[in-house]
Amino acid sequence: MRRIACLFVPGADERVKPDLLEIALRHSPSVEDGGPGIVYLDLGGLERLWGGEREIAARLHSAACERGAAVRVGVAGSRAGARFAARAGGDVTIVPPGLDARWLGPAPLALLGLGPEMAARLGRWGIRTLGELADLPSRGLAERLGGEGPRLQRLARGEDATPLRLWTPPPVFEESADCPWGVEALEPLGDLAAGLAEMLCARLRRHELSADAFEWTCRLADRTVHEGDCTPAAPLADSTAAAALLRASLAARPPGAAVEVITLRARPVRVPTSQPRLDEPPRPSPRLLTAALARLSSLVGAPGIGSPVLLDSHRPDAMRMTPFLLPSPRPSPQRREGDWNPLPHWGRGKGKGVVLAVRRIRPPLSADVALHAGAPAHLRAAGLAGRIIAGAGPWRVSGEWWTEAPFVQDEWDVELDDGTLCRLARDGRGWRLEAIYD
Amino acid sequence: MATSTESLPPPGWDREGLDGLLNVFPRGRLSEIVGPRSSGGGSLLLALLARAASRGGLVALVDGADAFDPETAARAGLDLRALLWVRCSGRLTSAWSAADLLARCPGFAVVALDLGTAPVAAPPSFGVRLQRAAAGNEAVVVVRAPRQVTGSAAALVVSVRRARARWIGAPRRIRLGGVVSEARVLRSRFDPRLATPGRAWLIEWRA
Repeated sequence: MRRIACLFVPGADERVKPDLLEIALRHSPSVEDGGPGIVYLDLGGLERLWGGEREIAARLHSAACERGAAVRVGVAGSRAGARFAARAGGDVTIVPPGLDARWLGPAPLALLGLGPEMAARLGRWGIRTLGELADLPSRGLAERLGGEGPRLQRLARGEDATPLRLWTPPPVFEESADCPWGVEALEPLGDLAAGLAEMLCARLRRHELSADAFEWTCRLADRTVHEGDCTPAAPLADSTAAAALLRASLAARPPGAAVEVITLRARPVRVPTSQPRLDEPPRPSPRLLTAALARLSSLVGAPGIGSPVLLDSHRPDAMRMTPFLLPSPRPSPQRREGDWNPLPHWGRGKGKGVVLAVRRIRPPLSADVALHAGAPAHLRAAGLAGRIIAGAGPWRVSGEWWTEAPFVQDEWDVELDDGTLCRLARDGRGWRLEAIYD
Repeated sequence: MATSTESLPPPGWDREGLDGLLNVFPRGRLSEIVGPRSSGGGSLLLALLARAASRGGLVALVDGADAFDPETAARAGLDLRALLWVRCSGRLTSAWSAADLLARCPGFAVVALDLGTAPVAAPPSFGVRLQRAAAGNEAVVVVRAPRQVTGSAAALVVSVRRARARWIGAPRRIRLGGVVSEARVLRSRFDPRLATPGRAWLIEWRA
C-alpha cells in the first residue's frame, strides 16, 4: 500500500522551499513540489533505510527544524490525506493505513484544489466537505460531472493512484578557473573566460539546454570582487559566440586589478525546437547575431545597442533601451474558411506608414528665438538659423506633477525660410530646439 | 481645413503611392535616400523599416546622429521589438563600421544607416565595401544622407525633396498637418526605367 508524506509550512513561506526539497530528496528519490509551502515524498521502500513511518516523519521534522523551518509532517495513503493531516494535525501526524477516507471526512473541499467553476457548482449542491462528496452516489456524480466527478470522489476518499511528479534539482551551470599568479591583461583573461564558456556550453548541450544570460565574477588581487553579465540576443549553446560575447563584455567592463579567480555562470533555458515556416522571413542565426552584437558593443558601447521601449509618460522622448532579443517564431496561423491572408497587412489603420518622421535632438539645443507679436519670428541655434515664415503653437505639454521632477513646456512647430520644419520648446529655462521634422 | 502655401504639383505625376516606391528598393543591393532636412527622406526610411517589420522581418538602424524617435516610429507601425537600434551619438567612424558589420550579418530584412541631416563625407571606398557586404545576403541595405555619400556603388538612389508643408487651420494655423514630398529615382541599376526624368512619386506624410 502506497504511503505519502507531506511537508507543510504554514503561511506558504517560499523561502524555505529549497530547504524542504533538499531535505525530502535526502530521504526519498520520489519527491514532488506540491506548490507554495508543500512538498510530498513517496515513503515506499524506505523502511530498511530509515525505519517506520513515524521514525521517518520524525526525522523529516527534526531536519526541517534544524534549518529553522516551522514545518508540519503528515503521512497518509494519498496526497490529499497527507496534506490534510499535516495541515490539521500537530508536528507529526500519521493517518493509519486504510483510514484516509474517515480522516478526510471533515476536510474542506478546497483541499482538492478545485477550479472556481467546479467549486461553485459543488457549493450550490450544498457540498462543503470531502466526506459529503465521498458519500454522494458515484453513478449520479458521473452523470452530472462526467469523468471529473468520480475522479474527485476518489480523491475525497483518499484513493490517489496518480504517481508523483518527480522533482529533480536544477543543474548548476558554473565553472571557475584559478590563476594564483594574477591575470592583468584583457587578452589572457578573455582566453580564460572563453575556456570556461566552452566547458559550460558543452554541459548545456549535453542537457539539451541553452543559456540566455552569462554572469562572471572575478576575485581580484586587491581582495575586491568585480562582477558583470552579458545577455545574448537569443539563447545559445555555441561556445564561439559565447566567448565573443564574454570578451566584449570584459572589454567594456575591465577589472581594476589582477584577477586571481574567475567564475562563469550560465542561466539555462530550454529552447523549443521549431521548424521555420515557409512564409516566415529569415532570421539571423543566434550565433552570428551574438557575435555581431558583441563587436557592435565594442564599437559603440553596450548601452547604445538594443531595442527601444516607450515609457508610459507624456514626457518628451520618454523611452528606455532594452537588450535586443530575437523574437520567438510566431505560431502557425489558424487558417479558417474565408481567411485569405492571415498575415498582418502593412498600412492597415489610419496613418500607418505615412507618418512624418521626427529627428530628435539629444540633448535639445539651446536656441535664441526672437518674438514678433508673441509668436516666434527668428531662430538661431547651433547649426540652424533663419527667419520663421510659418508656425503653429503653443501647446502646453506637462505632467508628472506628482513626482519630484515634473515637466511643463510650451511647444511650437515652425518653418524656417530655408524649408526646415522644426519643433521648438520653451520652459522656465528658455527656448530649446527639440526636433526636426524629416 | 488644410491650407497650402505652395501650389499643387502639376498633373501627370506618378500616383502609385508609397507602396510602389518602397517596392523599388532592391534586396542584396545598396540603396541611398538623399535629400535635405525636412524633405521627407527620414519619413521614407521610417516607412521602409515599418513595412519590413510588419512582414515579420527584423530591421537594424545604425543611427549616426542618435536622432531616431521611437514614438513616431511606433505611430508609423514599426514594431519596436523587431528593431535593432545602434546609437552612435555622432561618432560617424563607428557608424560606418557598424553598418558594414550588420550588412554582413544575414537575417535582417533591412539594414539602414542614417547619417543625419548635416553634410558628411564618407571614407574612401566605403560605398564599395557596403555594396559588397550587401551582396552577401537578402537584406535591403540603405543609407540616408543629405547628399550622395556612396559614390557610384549604390544600385538605387532616391532623391527626396519637399513639395510643400501642410498646415491645419485657417486663417490662423493651429498645427502642422504634414509634408508633401516628391521622390525621384536618380539611379536604378536594375530597372533604368525608374530613373526616367519625368517620373516621380508624390507622398503626403502626416504629422
